[in-house]
Amino acid sequence: MPASKKMLMAKHYDVIVIGGGHNGLVNAAYLARAGKKVLVLERRYVLGGAAVTEEIIPGFKFSVFSYVVSLLRPEIIRDLDLPRHGLEILPLDGTMTPMPNGDYLWRMNDHAKTRRELQRHSKLDAEAYEEFGKSMVPMCRFVKPILGMVPPDPTSLDPRDLKALAFLGKRFLSLGAEDKYNLVKLMTMSAADFLDQWFETDVLKATMSASGIIGTFLGIRSPGTAYVLLHHYMGEIDGAFRSWGFSRGGTGAISNAIGDAAREAGAEIRLEAPVARILIKNGSAQGVVLENGEEIRANVVSSSVAPSLTFLNFIDSRELPDDFLEDVRRYKYRGSSGKVNLALDALPNFTCLPGPGRHLRGAISISPSTEYMERAYDQAKYGEFSRRPYIDMVIPSLTDPSLAPPGKHVLSCFVQYAPYKLSQGTWDEQRDAFGDAVIDTISEYAPNLKNIIVGKQVITPLDIERQIGLSEGNIFQGELSLEQLFFLRPVAGWARYRTPIRKLYMCGSAMHPGGGIMGAPGRLAALEILKDTGKGKN
Amino acid sequence: MAAARKVVIIGSGHNALVAAFYLARKGLKPLILERRDLVGGAAVTEEFHPGFRCSTVAHAGGPALPSILRDMQLVKHGLETLESPVRLFAPSPDGRALVLDTDPNAAAQRIHAFSEKDAAKYLDLHKALEETGAILSELLSLTPPALDKPSTEDLWKLLRVGRKIRGLGKKGMMRLLRWGPMAVADFVAEFFETDLLRAVVAARGIFGAATGPRSAGSTALLLLRAASDPHPAGNSAFPRGGLGALTAAMAAAAKRAGAEIRTDAEVEQIVVNNGVAIGVVLRSGEEISAKCVVSGADPRRTLLGLLDPVNLPPNFAVKLQNYRSNGTAAKLNVALDALPTFSALKQSSESNAALAGRIHIGPGIDYLERAFDDSKYGEFSRAPYLDISIPSILDTSLAPAGKHVMSIYMQFAPYHLKQASWLQQRDALADTIIKTLAAYAPDLPDKIIARQILTPKDIEETYGLTGGHPFHGELALDQIFTMRPLLGWARYRTPVKGLYLCGSGTHPGNGLTGASGANAAREILQDLR
Repeated sequence: MPASKKMLMAKHYDVIVIGGGHNGLVNAAYLARAGKKVLVLERRYVLGGAAVTEEIIPGFKFSVFSYVVSLLRPEIIRDLDLPRHGLEILPLDGTMTPMPNGDYLWRMNDHAKTRRELQRHSKLDAEAYEEFGKSMVPMCRFVKPILGMVPPDPTSLDPRDLKALAFLGKRFLSLGAEDKYNLVKLMTMSAADFLDQWFETDVLKATMSASGIIGTFLGIRSPGTAYVLLHHYMGEIDGAFRSWGFSRGGTGAISNAIGDAAREAGAEIRLEAPVARILIKNGSAQGVVLENGEEIRANVVSSSVAPSLTFLNFIDSRELPDDFLEDVRRYKYRGSSGKVNLALDALPNFTCLPGPGRHLRGAISISPSTEYMERAYDQAKYGEFSRRPYIDMVIPSLTDPSLAPPGKHVLSCFVQYAPYKLSQGTWDEQRDAFGDAVIDTISEYAPNLKNIIVGKQVITPLDIERQIGLSEGNIFQGELSLEQLFFLRPVAGWARYRTPIRKLYMCGSAMHPGGGIMGAPGRLAALEILKDTGKGKN
Repeated sequence: MAAARKVVIIGSGHNALVAAFYLARKGLKPLILERRDLVGGAAVTEEFHPGFRCSTVAHAGGPALPSILRDMQLVKHGLETLESPVRLFAPSPDGRALVLDTDPNAAAQRIHAFSEKDAAKYLDLHKALEETGAILSELLSLTPPALDKPSTEDLWKLLRVGRKIRGLGKKGMMRLLRWGPMAVADFVAEFFETDLLRAVVAARGIFGAATGPRSAGSTALLLLRAASDPHPAGNSAFPRGGLGALTAAMAAAAKRAGAEIRTDAEVEQIVVNNGVAIGVVLRSGEEISAKCVVSGADPRRTLLGLLDPVNLPPNFAVKLQNYRSNGTAAKLNVALDALPTFSALKQSSESNAALAGRIHIGPGIDYLERAFDDSKYGEFSRAPYLDISIPSILDTSLAPAGKHVMSIYMQFAPYHLKQASWLQQRDALADTIIKTLAAYAPDLPDKIIARQILTPKDIEETYGLTGGHPFHGELALDQIFTMRPLLGWARYRTPVKGLYLCGSGTHPGNGLTGASGANAAREILQDLR
């Protein structure tokens, strides 16, 4: 075949996947394995979207954005054989919460030790904690198949939808009375109210409730946050990992493993290939145009980027129905968190547990009380970042020394709340103050911190949006609030990975079941694409 | 014990009276036992200062379900409803005021002055609330279905509602599903750009609840209220003679049907034998036996207060302890020498007629949210949200000639204060309310003759509402419909056979519709059949 003709041919694909984040890659891998000719287009120089490892400070490698893993669906790990492609999860050892009075709460992966530790705070809570864990199991079992399910349309009379709804209804009815009660409460309550039912130790409630607010612009007292609690709890008892962990080599290693699996299956991946436009003809997607003007044709376009980018930037509004556009504009992102990555030349020394130790190998949570958590939210509601924020930090270099020079460490801090929209000033003006607030807050518990910092990177919601294209810096590509879940995600009527444009699909975290390096939207979208187009070439 | 009566009803609030009426109508001769010396529960008119009477607790009326109005012939029994053509007057700190008429077009016209876009959207909202309200109103008279083994009747009724919902069309249905769990602040932002208008509508989603407008699920409460009155600003109907006149008419209807009412008869205990309620013991020691005990009191008071806990399954008691019923509302009733002068009215062509509906103080979403913030940490709002009525404008019988009564509902005042007690804080609370209002009506303090402050603690002690909660428990997503008061126990029955709940702590449990009482009576009659 002459070279020129080969080039022309090469420019036609079965599927173009926009965005090389973990969902885009999972999507591509499944499609490629089914025999599709797939091209992944990533805007940046590095693969992974929010799941990347970058050497921001010479010698120090950071999981710049997303930093821990647990929700990655076991079936994806299995199907794509990710361990063979280099995925290795290192356990994250428990969670330690330092307290202002010099005490701490330290929950470990060791059951007996956690029990003893909780007893130190409250005998009742030590009992309740076990009961709580047991009651969450059926909750997770109930929700798990939903995560692997294309949301049914509750307004449709299509037998397929009715069947799915009946399936859910039956499953619910088959739960025991206690489980029903707990599930309904989980779906409707606030994390704080839900935990109030179980525990009396405030610092325990505060730390546990934190997983209910991550990625949302809600406080721990806002209804709907109990569900997000479950969303995060799921990873802890899921078959594959049993707990949260780090990926060796940083979060980017996950993306690389999925990318390798996709490539092995025949997918092509292009970096530094930003999409400018989706080509549409007669209401049907035909391919994409890159920012450099290059046109690439495909039978199907699958977008893993946010609905706002996909529908408002890449597509001429005339191609879309007005009410759909209105719903897309209404979809709430509202990023509420930032990241502070620190390069350290020694370990932080916590007043409550001085010196190095196992407590530094897990997560360290700055969540000393429920009032602290709620007040952090109060400031954000009115457009300021929390002066004393909730912080979840990890020192992955303790578990994975490859991330920092010998004897040195990386400290990765997830920080909430940092509202995307500030009432005063811009994030470019406030970035340093935000970083300082985080460092000051941690220093209250680990006073040596300031002396050991050799480099820092402060990431605001605006930076998240600019650097990796997550609209308004929301880490889940849209809030996980009740009105944006399941068949309502991202907009009512379009939760089934399809769009008003024929041959255009959505496969990112803005789709059910949402974000958190689960990979589920990417997989489900791939299965739907295959359903519509059949396996093999088309 | 004397020969067993068929039915004893604890409390004489509006729901208890409605239940009594329906039971009496079937020949059951229920006996109502009221602990206070007057009938009506939280819907009463009391003279709080010589010559000045007002609806001391709840202050805006109903509307009672049309079926109840009709069946009980409340109008014949003396109920006269006064309606102001203006539903709501909401002054803003900038000196302007929003006036919302009952007539949506007239209201939209006035909104024009704030925003042209909002004026059009207001009519959209009115229509949307009418549509969804019409469907949700079906749910009000429905016994929540049994989740374990729903009966054919349950399913049939749900199917009927389901068909109505289908009538909304795909878009309408999805909208309803999406709206329910939303924060009401987001909901109103989808309609309006004017902060004041947003706040006025959002207030309906937080009234009587321990939630701010940014709390998820507050839209559900707005929609629930729209089921009984779709007007975006809510109801402004006042019975002549205050809300006590509503319950008086209900009491008359119940008596006429055969019920007996005893006041000053406080029930101290519900007597249970072998898991079956067999009567009650009064504070006086008197025992009254009955085949069936119906409680209009709130679920916690009834089941944890009046019942020996050994009669409840342990899990049930724990869950009920977790039923959230700490109120955040307080009430200030004021006797006035004359009407206060609202600055916003002085500056415009509006007259005092604009004050005849309800008055809303809470000029923006952030204002309402901040008012809520204080309460989360055990303090009452320093700049509270107020819902006010001056019923004496339409009803001169409430105050001496030329003078007025003002009823101020205040939010947020948490039942549990972090520091000090309500006894120490009650005057500070009253002062805060007056100061807040005086910012809009500067001559108010000079016109005050007397005042009566009711803190959540007072509401609990005087009116018997646990936690001082005006609705017998939070109306939040996790405590409505099949979950009110508890999942599995939303059908007016309790773990004690023969003991029923008929108050606001049961579905639908909101305001003065009387639906809880009517639904409970229907279920009781079914069991007694």
